[in-house]
Amino acid sequence: MNSFLRMKLGSWRGFAGGIDGVLVVLAAILISIAVVNLNSAGAGDWTGLVRGQIGFIAVGLVGMVTVALLDYRLLFRLGYTIYGVGLALVILVAVVGVTTNSAERWLRLGMLTFQPSEPMKLFLILGIARYLQELSESSLAGTIRGLVIPGVMTLVPAALILQQPDLSTSVVLGLIALSMLALAQLTLRSTLILSLLGVSSMMLGWRLLMEDYQRERIDVWLNPENHAEGAGYQILQARIAVGNGGIFGRGVGEGSQNLLNFVPYKESDFAFAVFAEEWGFLGGCMLLLVFVLVAWLLNVASQARDRFSALVCVGVAALFFWHTVLNVGVVLEFIPNTGLPLPFFTHGGSNVVTMMLSLGVVSSISRARRER
Amino acid sequence: MLSRSEDLRPLKLRFQLMLVVTVVVFMVLAGRLFQLQVLEGEQYASRAERNFIQSIDVEAPRGRIFDNKGRPLAVNRPAYTLMVTGRPRVLVEDEATETAELRRIPVSDDQVEELAALIDFQDESDEEKFVTRIEELRDDERSGRYAVAIRSNLSDREYARIKTREQLANWVDIRKRARRYYPEGALTAFITGYMREISREELERRGQAGYRVGDRIGKTGLERQWENYLRGRIGLANRVVNSLGIPVVDPPAMATAALADPVEPIPGQDIHVSIDVELQRVAADAFGSVRFDEVSKADYGGRRAGGLVAMEVKTGRILAMVSVPSIDPNEWEQPITRAKFGAWTGSPFKPFIDKTIQENFFPGSTYKVVSALSMLVDSSYDPDEIIECGRYVEYGGRKFRDTHACGPVALEDAIIQSCNVYFYRLAMERGLTLSKMEATARSFGLGEPTGLGINSEASGTVPTEASEIRQGSFQQGVRLNSAIGQGNVKVTVLQLAVLYAAIANGGSVVTPSLVDRIETRDGKLVFENEPRLREASPPLESFDRERIHRGLVGVVNDPTGTAYSERLNGITVAGKTGTAQVGRERRRVGEKEIVGWDTTQDHAWFAGYASAEDPEIVVVALVAHGGAGAAAAAPIVMRVIGDYLGGRRAGSVDRTVSPARRDAGVPPPLPGGDGQVSR
Repeated sequence: MNSFLRMKLGSWRGFAGGIDGVLVVLAAILISIAVVNLNSAGAGDWTGLVRGQIGFIAVGLVGMVTVALLDYRLLFRLGYTIYGVGLALVILVAVVGVTTNSAERWLRLGMLTFQPSEPMKLFLILGIARYLQELSESSLAGTIRGLVIPGVMTLVPAALILQQPDLSTSVVLGLIALSMLALAQLTLRSTLILSLLGVSSMMLGWRLLMEDYQRERIDVWLNPENHAEGAGYQILQARIAVGNGGIFGRGVGEGSQNLLNFVPYKESDFAFAVFAEEWGFLGGCMLLLVFVLVAWLLNVASQARDRFSALVCVGVAALFFWHTVLNVGVVLEFIPNTGLPLPFFTHGGSNVVTMMLSLGVVSSISRARRER
Repeated sequence: MLSRSEDLRPLKLRFQLMLVVTVVVFMVLAGRLFQLQVLEGEQYASRAERNFIQSIDVEAPRGRIFDNKGRPLAVNRPAYTLMVTGRPRVLVEDEATETAELRRIPVSDDQVEELAALIDFQDESDEEKFVTRIEELRDDERSGRYAVAIRSNLSDREYARIKTREQLANWVDIRKRARRYYPEGALTAFITGYMREISREELERRGQAGYRVGDRIGKTGLERQWENYLRGRIGLANRVVNSLGIPVVDPPAMATAALADPVEPIPGQDIHVSIDVELQRVAADAFGSVRFDEVSKADYGGRRAGGLVAMEVKTGRILAMVSVPSIDPNEWEQPITRAKFGAWTGSPFKPFIDKTIQENFFPGSTYKVVSALSMLVDSSYDPDEIIECGRYVEYGGRKFRDTHACGPVALEDAIIQSCNVYFYRLAMERGLTLSKMEATARSFGLGEPTGLGINSEASGTVPTEASEIRQGSFQQGVRLNSAIGQGNVKVTVLQLAVLYAAIANGGSVVTPSLVDRIETRDGKLVFENEPRLREASPPLESFDRERIHRGLVGVVNDPTGTAYSERLNGITVAGKTGTAQVGRERRRVGEKEIVGWDTTQDHAWFAGYASAEDPEIVVVALVAHGGAGAAAAAPIVMRVIGDYLGGRRAGSVDRTVSPARRDAGVPPPLPGGDGQVSR
């Protein structure tokens, strides 16, 4: 602990030099664009959503810098503890959570409410990374049995979150865990077995568990035009907004679909539709930035000093990747409506802070990489 | 524990695979963006525009109606129309899953109640109708989708109340539309006609002509006859609406710029009629003043029913056309209470019926000119032959009476004194047959609509032996009765005006007309009326016409004439009285007695033209159950003629006449006698 503190305090210079410039610049650009977009979605209303979001970003920034200053090995040491705390919070939601709109997702702390399922994503990454680090040195490495513990670590919070109900967050937890396992534990054989399991359970689910309304929802997703005045309205209007952007976009604050409120939930799930309308195809490729960030995170991972670091970086990369893909994928009609936030674009503190903390963790790892 | 540095090179392939997956997924998303934004961008851009652009109909200003001196008879005033969408769009949001659906949700009873509370209804049935209309709309999947006009002519107060309720915005809209205003009200009611909301059947029939539910359409009179000219063509305006179809108060500049230019409506065309509204007023006042001192504008005629037509004898242009009582057409611009409507439909004065053209009456003695003309074409008839006329003749075992014995008279005197027996004798002894009278009547336009074109004219009846037998009403004496305008002879006031115009002008049968010309709003001539005349056939020989004419002049100007008491100083009027027995119209049992209205009384007629030297105007008046023609109808005609010709002669007409000869040739006074008080 002593050496830890000394290192931190004594090497400010080393820290400044150890800043991951690429990460910071990418994050800064993304956050700026996101804030501008949120302002558009709120029709230029700085006092409401945007001010709140900037507050969240400020909080996230403090957290990010703090975490970045830490030696990541502390996170390794506290991996299970952090995971345990996260799990406890998720359980707490089930017990004393705040119910809003028939979903029980929030915990109230005085004036603030927050959503433990968001930081749970990061905490799961840390917990699984620690376990897989240790697993790599045991005889279970690469075996199917080695998947049991991370499977349980994922499924317990995922099941709890599913009860809230919040299907998409629990799915994201699974995807993040799978991505990390893909780096360290999955073999071709286990991948095949898992995919077989996945496909067959999906088919069973379709036959047995799906309610009629869910099946209808799938139909809406496949043929929104048939439900233009009805359930297909949301997705169709989002598509029109995206298409309306054209090559160069309508310009910030000029999108009619946004301004005249044709796109529902434009400040949350459908923020990307607003963005695509105002920035067009060229701006839409700003999407590229997120993927550059993901690629950069993978790059940091590949250069990491140890398996834990690499796994955490891949986990965070997966966090960004899946959120972006699942959110934008909804707007672009690749998948049915999920309700996942687009990092930074979607209004909401828990997600913003979680994402920034994650980047803090990565910059801590990135700094250690340079020290190698 | 974490080692100082771990060799991660075995994972390199996995990193590379992950990178490939990332790039591929990015390419897929970017590809979709390319498809939507670059390839199909224009299509979605126009769909986005269609989303927020709403085109609404802009009603064309309806053509106006003016009298012959440009005085307005029908104009437009700004008003508000209430539009309702029975199944408005509602965004149903599910916050938990952040999904939103657009649904068509029928408005609730509470919403309807909320709106109804803001409207000042005339009575309960008005409100009931209003609510029912909305309920029909919300139950109708198809028309519930559109804004439909359900109440026109909102008051300013109603407008303000509704406008301030923002929660109504998604299903209630108020649009500017004009309401019709008739400055002369009841005075010109049957000429202008009135407007009413288009009926469902009419809407289907006119489906292609740009009518919408809730539009108003001419129901009677000129409003109906010239609807296509008056209506104009609907224009289009565009406005910016949001996802719920609510107009955006302060739309973004970008949206306003995308709006297409509005299509200006083409105003309806203005109609100039031949009516002289001042003469019309004189005529209507004359009707009223026979019995009443005060005549309210809203209820011309009071307790009196009848009609008057004043027409130019050479052209058929109608100068005044009065039917009393009439309903102020402005009444139809508001909902009408059940009580009021009931009073109208139940009124024995039949205010819905245009007495000048829609109802047939026995012409009585005014028909004697037809009998006379029927004889004159026959060369064996000698009009100068003196026939001895007593108080009655006997025919077929029945007595046919006269009100008085004329003594020995020739044709002219028979007309002047309105001698029934003379004409009975012509029918009995001189070959005045039904078929002869029919030929004459038809050649002067009786028995068929005159062709005025408005308010579905009645055709009248001209009896023939064949028709009498067919109807089973043939009796031995029908020929006698027909000769004096009874029996089954029936005419309209306008038909009689055409007949007397033909006598006045020397035998030309005119087609009466109301419309002089139609102009576009900017003054371009669209239609101009040409006088339509045809010669009577056989033509009216000038010496025959002279003989009849002399008789008609004598009616008013000979001391033995039936209308001598009504003569005008300074203007020589020719004319004929008629007192048509109504025989069959006995008062029904239990019918409420109305003071001054006795349905057993005869119909009073006077048909006259002036001046006798150079006839310009023909005026025919009928006072239903008014009693004697000379007493009830002739004064009205005289006032109209006096005003029309006298006005031009700078008041030289002295309307005071001596009552010296009034008792001769006039039937006994009316019961109560108040009909004659003023004369």
